[in-house]
Amino acid sequence: MNKELEHSFVELLEKHQNIAHKVCRLYTNNLDAHNDLFQEITIQLWKAYPKFRGDAKFSTWMYRVGLNTAITLYRKNKRRVNTQDFDAVQFKIKAEDYDDTEEEQLKLLYKAVHQLNDIEKALVFLYLEDKNYREISETMGISEVNARVKMNRIKTKLRTILNP
Amino acid sequence: MDGLDILKKDWQKDNTAYPKHSYNEIYKMILKKSSSIVKWIFIISLLEFVFWTLISFFLKDTKSMQRFEQFDADTILIPLAIIGYVVLAYFFYIFFRNYRTISATDNAKVLMENILKTRRAVKQYVGFNLIYLVIATVVVLFIEFDQDQQLINQAQQASANGDVFKFYATIIITTAIFLAIAIGLLLLFYWLVYGILLGRLNKNYTELKKLEV
Repeated sequence: MNKELEHSFVELLEKHQNIAHKVCRLYTNNLDAHNDLFQEITIQLWKAYPKFRGDAKFSTWMYRVGLNTAITLYRKNKRRVNTQDFDAVQFKIKAEDYDDTEEEQLKLLYKAVHQLNDIEKALVFLYLEDKNYREISETMGISEVNARVKMNRIKTKLRTILNP
Repeated sequence: MDGLDILKKDWQKDNTAYPKHSYNEIYKMILKKSSSIVKWIFIISLLEFVFWTLISFFLKDTKSMQRFEQFDADTILIPLAIIGYVVLAYFFYIFFRNYRTISATDNAKVLMENILKTRRAVKQYVGFNLIYLVIATVVVLFIEFDQDQQLINQAQQASANGDVFKFYATIIITTAIFLAIAIGLLLLFYWLVYGILLGRLNKNYTELKKLEV
């Protein structure tokens, strides 16, 4: 039974692992920290898996556990001090799709998102993942109206960062 | 198009080269131990319960306490001890009950609240112990003055020399300083441990609460 559970879990996570990687991308800024957080998300998902009911989508369920781990459960490792420019080094955007200004703009945007606080990052993450405000509010435990208000503030904040 | 939508367009293209873990790599990961703050809170809280229980046992075994037991003070000491154990049991139960409600599948706010609630039970227990420490010290001091022949003799001696005020003042001030140092050290310890452990959680919880206003 336990083996079956392990097998089904690992298979599902292998398939959906990008969700966890995306969370790590927003909350960490070097590969070591990324892997550390990914590891912790995996453990938290696995611990919660016996209670996972098939009626919720595995991916939806992953958003919640992944964000909870990043915001609340994960203990940031203080040993590492080197921070590298994130996207430029680790996850090189495939450059042929972009012209220079677009790429420059994206770099600035990713950098700006990295400067947001943990809660703002969570909202941005869900927004980028095309979640609607109901889902955002359910994941964060705030009202839909407040989620909307906060998103607008974040948009303004990012706009000012881009056009000072 | 505003900044976030440019970002979203790029994000949705999903052309980022994320690491790709194999089945075996993920399997190895689930065998590893978590290092989440919940685990640390659990360990530290248990240590706190053990620490305070041990303290009360050690105090009982000291020479002065054994001498103390000869005094006629059971009517005060036994209820004090019983209260101590009942309160320990109560807070331990609350702590466990709250700990079991912590679940990574709750929404972010509920998860934070449940963690903070678990901590609160331990915090209240520590607070109780500090107050208990002060009350017990005062009670013990009263009984000593009332029944310890050696101390009574010293007091009479001081009284005969006209130093009675100095005599009592020295004892009370020494006790107060000792208590203040002990409590100060404990509070410093808590401030450091929980500042490190819960600082980020408190910050994020405040941020979420702020959205509600």
